[in-house]
This record gives sequence, structure tokens and C-alpha cells, in this order.
Amino acid sequence: MRLLFGAAAAVALTFLALPVVAIFLRVSPTTLVHELSDPVARDALVVSLRTSALAQALVVGLGTPTAYLLATRRFRGRTVLLTLVELPLVLPPAVAGIGLLAAFGRTGLLSTSIPFTQLAVVLAIAFVSAPFFVRTAVASFEGLDPTLIAAARTLGAGPWRVFARVALPLAASGLGAGLALSFARGLGEFGATIMFAGSLQRVTQTLSLAIYAEFARNFDVALAMGALLVAFSFILLLVVKWLSFGWTSPFRSAPSSSA
Amino acid sequence: MAELRLDVAVSLRTFELRVALDVHAETVAVVGPSGAGKSTLLRAIAGLVPARGRVEVDGRDWSALATERRSVGFVFQDYALFPHLSVRGNVAFGGPPEDLLERLGIAQLADAHPRDLSGGERQRVALARALARKPEVLLLDEPLAALDAHTRDMTRVELRATLRELGLPTIVVTHDFVDAAALADRVGVLVDGALVQVGRADELISAPVSAFVARFAGGNVLHGHAHRADTLTSVELDDRNVIVSTDDAQGEVAAVVYPWDVTLARAMPSDSAQNHVQAEVTSVVPVANRVRVTVGAVTAEITAESAQRLQIREGDLLVASWKATATRLVAL
Amino acid sequence: MKVLAIFAAASLTGVLPSIDRAPKFQFAGSDQLAFQITQGAHADVFAAASPKYPEQLYSQGLCSKPAAFATNTVVLIMPSANPAHIRSVYDLKGHGIKLVIGAKGVPIGDYTRKLLAKLRLSSALKNVVSEEDDVKLVVAKVALGEADAGFVYRTDVKSVGNRVLRIAVPAAGQPTVRYELCIPTTSQHSKLAAAFVREVLSNRGRTALRTAGFGLP
Repeated sequence: MRLLFGAAAAVALTFLALPVVAIFLRVSPTTLVHELSDPVARDALVVSLRTSALAQALVVGLGTPTAYLLATRRFRGRTVLLTLVELPLVLPPAVAGIGLLAAFGRTGLLSTSIPFTQLAVVLAIAFVSAPFFVRTAVASFEGLDPTLIAAARTLGAGPWRVFARVALPLAASGLGAGLALSFARGLGEFGATIMFAGSLQRVTQTLSLAIYAEFARNFDVALAMGALLVAFSFILLLVVKWLSFGWTSPFRSAPSSSA
Repeated sequence: MAELRLDVAVSLRTFELRVALDVHAETVAVVGPSGAGKSTLLRAIAGLVPARGRVEVDGRDWSALATERRSVGFVFQDYALFPHLSVRGNVAFGGPPEDLLERLGIAQLADAHPRDLSGGERQRVALARALARKPEVLLLDEPLAALDAHTRDMTRVELRATLRELGLPTIVVTHDFVDAAALADRVGVLVDGALVQVGRADELISAPVSAFVARFAGGNVLHGHAHRADTLTSVELDDRNVIVSTDDAQGEVAAVVYPWDVTLARAMPSDSAQNHVQAEVTSVVPVANRVRVTVGAVTAEITAESAQRLQIREGDLLVASWKATATRLVAL
Repeated sequence: MKVLAIFAAASLTGVLPSIDRAPKFQFAGSDQLAFQITQGAHADVFAAASPKYPEQLYSQGLCSKPAAFATNTVVLIMPSANPAHIRSVYDLKGHGIKLVIGAKGVPIGDYTRKLLAKLRLSSALKNVVSEEDDVKLVVAKVALGEADAGFVYRTDVKSVGNRVLRIAVPAAGQPTVRYELCIPTTSQHSKLAAAFVREVLSNRGRTALRTAGFGLP
């Protein structure tokens, strides 16, 4: 049994690691830096960072109060709301794209002129990545010791002070982990963006879109951008682990979760 | 002078908590088994659980006020210190911290974090924090339960002195009668949501209204059938032993005898003690400088010297003796 | 059972299955398909919307000598409501028009740039809001009404019928759009593949192409 499971694990880990390793074997660090100076890559990086930063600001700014309410209030329809928040998590990106067009498209429900703008990219990223943040945030707020909240109230703290001075600082590491997850998901966003925002260098072409656009034309640049995204995502996931479990070396055994 | 008047009701899962109680500038301990509604009572006063009825402080009705508008100092069972704040930060959450840190002897810990404190230190920080907002009412939920035996004895004495000095209407919840007797001016016994008896600790011991109160106050409770004869009542116990009491009773009763009223001997003594029960020793437990010895259905508390002299071991056959005047008869 | 894998330009989506429904088709931008073939993808026939990629593969020894089988013309389409009031390609220079075109390297994208250059309309490129990876995406963005105009093939208009308006490009600007197909050397069913190619080039195939709006070489 040990042998069998070991073999299965070896196959699985090799399978998961190989594409990642292959990217880095194909581009040496010097070519990576060189290829990333390609205008397409540079512009895509700027677009990605800008739109991701804005989208995540939106997600945290609106998601935190939402998560706090969902975690602390009990009301009819709460489960439905929670499910609604989580829905984009399992929606195919193409459906997200269609939905955003149907809502914000020129001929959509709100008939805006958002499509093809950087704001469209921001909305697409926010839409698909928000559930990662909100879910983690709800769990963090729900995990708070209710006695600490009660203690704050007996000390004269009203709802706002309880939130700002007790709930927020205590949930901060969970919120940080949620943000890192959301950020990582947002960087990889492709389907909803290409449908809702289109793809235009310097405006709406994010790293993911640029990789797709370039892979037939200039494989090395696509590869270099891929490597960059892998590195970003890896760092973000480490941040998640660090915030969730406290810092231990990532190469030592992780503390077992008791969940 | 400050006064807290309670007449509250809270519906719990299997029973209703219903308490009417006036607390002056004194400490009232509410004791009872776990699940009796003790913590719920404190939470209802603080407005942390919805309650019907009235909570009145110096004639002002608190019933409609949110928790943060009620002037309570609440010390939670596990102290509920904010883990992200220093000792000073915790106390300052309620109000200006410096005087209180000094007064409770924790000034040198001001910059420490709760995780680095001992149980006794945490208890003092929790009390300082509760006092920081200058509360009109003090509520303490099992303030000593989280402490080890040694710290607990010291803290009990300190806490008693602090509560005296404060002179606030104070309710202490505890499951331990010894803590209650040591801390409080009056003790209330809460059973299934109702206060069955409120009085000074010695009143509860000398005149328990029920077998439950007696057992809670530390007494041995022996079931039996009482027959009144002249000046004494004789009680035939369930184990066929017959004991006598100066109390008046007839029919099914509980005979209460406190461990410190029981003496032990190897042979049947011929002293003034009028009740004797011979049985096997089932347990011998040293408690501080005394020893608790269980002989059949009766537990005696004797000095360590007496225990030494008698050389008691489990399995020995001993005679437990106590006076008819030390035998209280109460309703079941 | 042998099933042919046909890699074909997105603009051939409607017509090829009407000639032979048996093979499995993969429709995408010709540049992406060519790239997949150089990466070793198993294609039995490669049908592209320009001679560029088949000729490239042929010169690299990756496919047989390409044969031309259809032609097409580039047209300008607008949503049927025509929100930007476009009457001719020259209106594309106007301010604030949302123009969608194919990306560089994608045949429709290259044709569009060539066309605009010939008509001295390259300044219209400032109005481009999105560069799509194949022609069907351009069609979709216009048909949805999100874009004001887009350059596509004449044959693409059929599938969206009444949801778009179409205007012709002046003859002076019209590029030569020629479709070529070839049999990649990696094909394991080259005989069957050759039969498919013959069918496309046959009278029946030519009729189907003409019905779909293609021209014939």
C-alpha cells in the first residue's frame, strides 16, 4: 500500500511540476529578462498590475464590509446570498464574460460604454476573483471568538469600534490570505476579459491575453510572460500559506491543519 | 448608594431562566451546576442576550439599552483579553489605564502581550480592563476557574479585597461553593434557571432549603425515613442504619451532615456524639492540610494529624460519628 | 475507424462541414493552427485563410504543396442599429468610433491593415478598441452591438444575418483573400486526406463554397 501510494504521489507530483519546470528550462534567466523587455510584454505587465491593483482595491473595499455582514448577521436568505457570492467561483469564465456583457454592455441591462476600456478589465477581474476574497473573509470573521466581540461591547464599543478595533485586526491575516488568493486568480483571468474587454495592447491586453495572442507569433515572449506569471502566483501562494499558518520555511513540513 | 435591581427572564432550550434579585453595594455569588443558566444571567444583565423583564440600576431602566450603553464591567470566564493588544492596550480599550495598572499591580506588565501572561496575571488584566470604563455594576463569570490551585488561593484573597474596596453591586458566577463563600457577602443557588435560596454562606450551610443546596454547600446527604419521637427524630437510612437528629421531621427526608462535623474512630466510641455509622473506607484524599475520608455514604474531613494517628487506608473498617445537633433534616 | 482531423480557418466554420461532415474539425485563427502544426499537432488537412501559413509550412517541409481552393472579400460590418452612423469606410477616421479588427498575424488582421493602408486610412487604427484572435470574435463583438464596426469576410455575415449591416470596401482597397489548403507531413491518413482535398476542389465542393458566398480561384 505504501509503495502504491508513493508511486501515485510521485506520478501526480511530477505531472504537476513538469509544465512549470519546463517553462523555466526553456527560458534562461537572461533571455527571460531580455524577452520581457519586448514592448508587448512590458505593456501587458503594466496593464495587468494596474488593473489587478484597482480590481483588488475594489474587492477589498466592498468585499470586507460584505463579508462582515454575512459572517455576523443571521437573516433569511443568508445562505442564498452566500451561494450567490461564491457562484463566480464555479462559473466558466465564458459565462462570466457573457454575463458582464449582458449587464454592462452597450446593449446590456445598464447599457454602459464600459466594454473595451481598462475599467472593463478591472470589472472582469473583480467579478471572477472577488469570491476568493469574500469566502476567506467570511470564514475569518466567522472564526473570531464571539467572546472577544462581547468583551469589546461591554467595554463600551459600538458596532463601528468593534469592527475597526477588534474584528478587523483579528481577521487581518485571514483577509490578507484571501486577498493574495484573489490577486492570484485575478492575474490569471482570461475568458471573461477577452469577451468583455477585448484585447488591445497598452489598454486591455493583460499578461494572460498577451500570452495567448503571442504564443503563435512569438513563442519566446509568451514563454517569458508565462514564467513571470508562474513566479507571481508562486509568491502569492506562499503569502497565503504564511498568513494562514504563520511562517515556517516552505521547504520544511507544514503544520498539519486540524480542520 | 448604588443598587442593581433585577427581574429578568430568558427562555433557554429546556427551561426558563427567571431571576429576581436586588444587589446593593455588595458581592452576590451565584452558584449552581453547569447549565443552570449562571452565565446567561450575567449576559442578560449586560445585554448580550435578549431578556424580558427589567434590569434597573439606581432606578434607571437598562432593558432597552444596547450592551455598549450599559455601564457594566464584565470579566469573562477565560478573561477574553484581546490577543492583538498589549496589557495597556487591553485596559485602555475601556478607559484611561495608568491608575488601574498601578492599583492591580500589573504596571510592569503594561507592554506584555496576553499570550505571555500567567493565569493570575490575566485575571488581573481582565479585572483592570473591566474597571477601566468606571462601571456601575461589576459582573464576573467564573473568575477563578481558569487558575491552578495555588494561584487560585492567592487570587481569591486578592479579589475579595479588591471587591470590598470597590463597593460596587457585583455578581460573581461560580460553580464552586468555596469560591462563592470566600468572595461574596451573599450566595444564591441557581438550579434549572431559578434561585432556590439566597443568603449568607453560613445560612445556606446551617439551614439549606433543599438537599441540593446542602450538597452544593458541601454536605453529606443521606436519604431516609423520619419518625418523630419526643425531643429527637430518628431516621432510618436507606442502608438500614438509624441516626438521630434534633430537627423536626416526618416521612421521607434528606439528612445532612457536614464533613467537618464528622469524627472518625477505629472502634465504637463512647463520647457525646450520638450518631455512629460503621463502614469501609472507600477513599482517602488529602486537601491542603486536611484529609477527606469517605466512609460508606459519609465523607469526613479531618486534620492531617488525626489521619496520621489513625493510619487510615482504603478498605479499613471505621466508625464515623457526629452529633444529633449536627444532623439537619431537609426536604428531598 | 479513421477520422480525419481538419485544421481550418475560423471563416470556414460553416462551409467545410457541409462538404463533408465526417472529419473532426478544429476552427481557429490560421496563425494559431499553423503554430500547433509546427508543434507537432496531428492534423490531416490544413485549410488557411491566407497563403502565408501553408506556404511557410511547405517551405519548412511540414506540409504538401498548397492548393488554392477559395477566395473571399473583406467587408465592413456595423450593428444593425449603426450607433456610430457609419456610411462608408471613410467614416472610420471619425472621433470616438469603436473599431474592432483582427490581431496582427491573424489573416483577417493582416488583410485589414493592408486595406486601410491602401486606402490611406491607417489613422483609423487609433479607433481600434480591440484586436481579436480570430475573425469570429470580431463578428461577435459587432453583432452584440459592443463595437461600432469591424472588418470581417463577406462570408461571415451570413451567420449573423439581420443583426449587422454590411458595406463594401472600395475596390482600390480590397486585398486579395485567397484560401489554400495542404496536407501536413505528420498526417497518418494522407490518402484519406488527399480524398478530402479532392472533394473540396471538386464541383460539389466548389458549389458549396459558392453557395456560402466564397469566390473561386
